[in-house]
Amino acid sequence: MMLAAPLGLVALLGWAVPLAVHLARRTETRPTDFAALKWLRQKPRPRHRPRFDERPLLAVRLVLIALIALWLARPMLPGSADRSPVTAFAPGTVPGTGEGRRLWLAPGFPPVEQAVAGGGPVDSLIRQLDADLPAGVALTVVVPERLAGVDAERPKLSRAVTWRVVPGGPVVRPAMAAVPELVVRYAPERAGQLRWWRAVGAAWGRPVAVAGTEVPVPAGARHLVWLAGGPLPAAVRDWVAGGGTVLVPVDSPANGAVVWRDALGAPLAEAAKLGRGRIVRLTRDLTPAAMPELLEADFPAELRAVLAPLPAPSVVMARDYAPLTGGPASDEPVRDLRLPLALGIALLWLIERWLATARSRGVSP
Amino acid sequence: MWSSGWSRGCAAPVVELIPADVRHRLRDLTLATRRAIGDRGLGAHRSASRGAGLEFAQYRPYERGDEPRQIDWKLYGRSDRFFVREAERESPVAAWVLLDTSGSMGQADAARPDRSRLDAGRALAACIVELALMQGDRFALVTLGEAMRVVPPHGGARARDRLRLELAGLSAGGVLPDERALAPVWGRIGQRDLVVVVSDFFDAGTLDLAVRLSAAGREVLAIQILTVEERNFPFDGGYRFRDPETGEELLGDGAALRAEFVARFGAAQVALHAGLDAAGIRRGELVLDQPLDTPLRTLFG
Repeated sequence: MMLAAPLGLVALLGWAVPLAVHLARRTETRPTDFAALKWLRQKPRPRHRPRFDERPLLAVRLVLIALIALWLARPMLPGSADRSPVTAFAPGTVPGTGEGRRLWLAPGFPPVEQAVAGGGPVDSLIRQLDADLPAGVALTVVVPERLAGVDAERPKLSRAVTWRVVPGGPVVRPAMAAVPELVVRYAPERAGQLRWWRAVGAAWGRPVAVAGTEVPVPAGARHLVWLAGGPLPAAVRDWVAGGGTVLVPVDSPANGAVVWRDALGAPLAEAAKLGRGRIVRLTRDLTPAAMPELLEADFPAELRAVLAPLPAPSVVMARDYAPLTGGPASDEPVRDLRLPLALGIALLWLIERWLATARSRGVSP
Repeated sequence: MWSSGWSRGCAAPVVELIPADVRHRLRDLTLATRRAIGDRGLGAHRSASRGAGLEFAQYRPYERGDEPRQIDWKLYGRSDRFFVREAERESPVAAWVLLDTSGSMGQADAARPDRSRLDAGRALAACIVELALMQGDRFALVTLGEAMRVVPPHGGARARDRLRLELAGLSAGGVLPDERALAPVWGRIGQRDLVVVVSDFFDAGTLDLAVRLSAAGREVLAIQILTVEERNFPFDGGYRFRDPETGEELLGDGAALRAEFVARFGAAQVALHAGLDAAGIRRGELVLDQPLDTPLRTLFG
């Protein structure tokens, strides 16, 4: 047993109180009328031995104080955890035979006898299970072939895990991001830049709808190139807030964080959120002199990644996701003994009250 | 037990000092004096001779030689005959109760603080008075304490009630009165009277008093009242013993004092009994946990 707050044992000094209470009454003298005093002869008092009245009550009180002091010292009992091996089944697998305790790899780690609705993030749960188990407990994890909703990094655990892959798992079609369809609105003085956007559209294989700034943006459009200086008109801002993405030239108000850099690390574009949409601003003039990338072959692909980023991969083949070892070992789980102690204290207090208020007791504190 | 039926200093006109069971057992007892028997009366001390007196006995027809002042003239007015009114002659014996009311009589046991030695003493006095009344004897009371009171001998139920009130108002305190204060009393106690001294006999003066009365020809009986603590000395632990009369104090551990106290107290009791016996004084003893009539049975049973 360890004590989390050993200073709590200072409360044992409280033993002095019941000891004093039970001892003090010994030494006091009770005045008594006694007419036959002349037949009493003064005797030297017998050698004073420390004697205590009502020893059972005193014992109960001492034990009670000791328990309270122990409670204040917050005792912990290490090594009380179950050391049988653990087999964890990810939801979606059929719990078969496994050695030791068999659990669902789900929040709370319910035993497999219980039905479990659905799991959480597998990697997080594996890390939690690894931290909860005492060192040296063998852990087997049964996972389906494909795992969804996991980190991009293999979990690093404190122990070697037996990683069993069974058929099954979510069937997720890889998200095929649609090629954006560009809508261009331009001020007359910037008609010269239109050719770049037409080239981009040709590279994407999508038509480009070009019109003046006075033409409203069609409702179904998702991507707009705004070739005009100054702040965006209110109508366009509303459209962006509704979920659109707009690309504005360098002479628009600066905003947002850099999302595209050139080979030297200098910013090429920055983006900011507006409502549910985004405003992407090019930080340079759309000329080959200011922006040599314009002439690069991968410019359309880079631009597409900026305007319509591909969704991050979220499904991994479980065989590639076997946890690594070498993670930090968590502390041994300990049992807090304060609750059973508190129950014992309450019970002992009742006994003390019962003894102290017993009818047979004389007049005493 | 006998303490249940009464309380001290009660405002009720007649205070019941004698519990019912003791009163019931009183019928078996008689106040007998060795010297009065066969003197004038028959049986107990009731006088059979009639004559002038307070207690009415009977009417009888006038005979020659009767004094004219004995004739009941009112009855003559109604019946036109002479009748002589006769009264019982008073008993020749008076029972004197000498009740110690000094401070030591106020002591009670810790176990029964409501039952002091004085309570037992006045209940005993009431019993003796009741006995005397039942057999037609007169009775008197002298309290020996801070306030010395003398109730002169009288007979009859009213005198009994008066005396009972007197008893109910007593409280313990002070020391035994000295000889000079007692002197007027001696003259009033008749030659044939029965004297019952109710005391704890801790003060040597009480024994002297009884011995002197006995030597002067009165029949003296002694009733000693002891508390349970004096008999058993049940003290354990530290105590400050205090004499209620002198105020003297003694600190001691009960258990350590017990053996010697029991021995010395027993020796003192033996000496007291020897002194009483030598003076021809019969004695009874009441410890507070005994039935009230224990000494009465010893003396009058």
